[in-house]
Amino acid sequence: MECNGCEFRPELYYDDQYQIWARREEDGSLTVGMTDISQTVAGKILHVRVRRPGTLRPVGKPVATIESGKWAGPVPNVFDCVIEAANHSVLEDPNLLNIEPYEAWIARVRPSGTVEQALSVMLTGDAAQAGYCERTRREDLHCERGAR
Amino acid sequence: MADQHYLDNEEKSVVIVMTSGPSTPHRCATPFYIGSILASMDSDVHIFFTMEGVMLAKRGVAENLSAMKGGKTILEFIRDAKAAGVKLHLCKPAMPGYELDVSDIIAEIDEVSNAGALADLILSSDKSMYF
Repeated sequence: MECNGCEFRPELYYDDQYQIWARREEDGSLTVGMTDISQTVAGKILHVRVRRPGTLRPVGKPVATIESGKWAGPVPNVFDCVIEAANHSVLEDPNLLNIEPYEAWIARVRPSGTVEQALSVMLTGDAAQAGYCERTRREDLHCERGAR
Repeated sequence: MADQHYLDNEEKSVVIVMTSGPSTPHRCATPFYIGSILASMDSDVHIFFTMEGVMLAKRGVAENLSAMKGGKTILEFIRDAKAAGVKLHLCKPAMPGYELDVSDIIAEIDEVSNAGALADLILSSDKSMYF
């Protein structure tokens, strides 16, 4: 489903600014990536750097740093976690984040508490969709996915 | 995989002294861009507007200024830096020379600071940069 051409996946969890998505994995970890809104705002992404695996990331401390031609900033973090892995495909080819934002995950993390505690601070389902669409309208965002 | 993709720097503090202003717009985006990167790498970043840089804090200036033709406005770069966690200071002693009053400044400025505050930042920061 889409809002202003921005893809939204109801099965994922989102921060309240819709910058990142998280997906629950069977082994108790969470996969984290950028939303379609985020990759559109950033423009063509040129460089991604992820915290080294094993690093503790408290709330507010970024999981990764993104650089594009017109934007630089953090991939934010909304729960305490430890970095388990970076997506090497994305590190080597950051443009994947523009092309397939919900497939090109950035990092896999393990919450310091339970998965339920971590996800409790995120939005999902109808509530997430309403907020996601509201942001696209408020900021007049029209998403475009990059092409090679 | 190349080790360079991993971030494992220690936290540091950085002060960026911003003296460039509307007369050199091409110098006005990068300091906020690098400030955003540093802040997103866990650095404690302060940008101190002084000399002609104070004009970027005047309402209506940064929103109508771009570093390149058709590019993002300087105000958008300033907001990106704020969103990444950068703190913005405005040099109080420089304001009269540019006829800038506190009532004229953009909401993004965190503090109107005296020169002593800048001196303290320079002496206490791990790194200082000047633009």
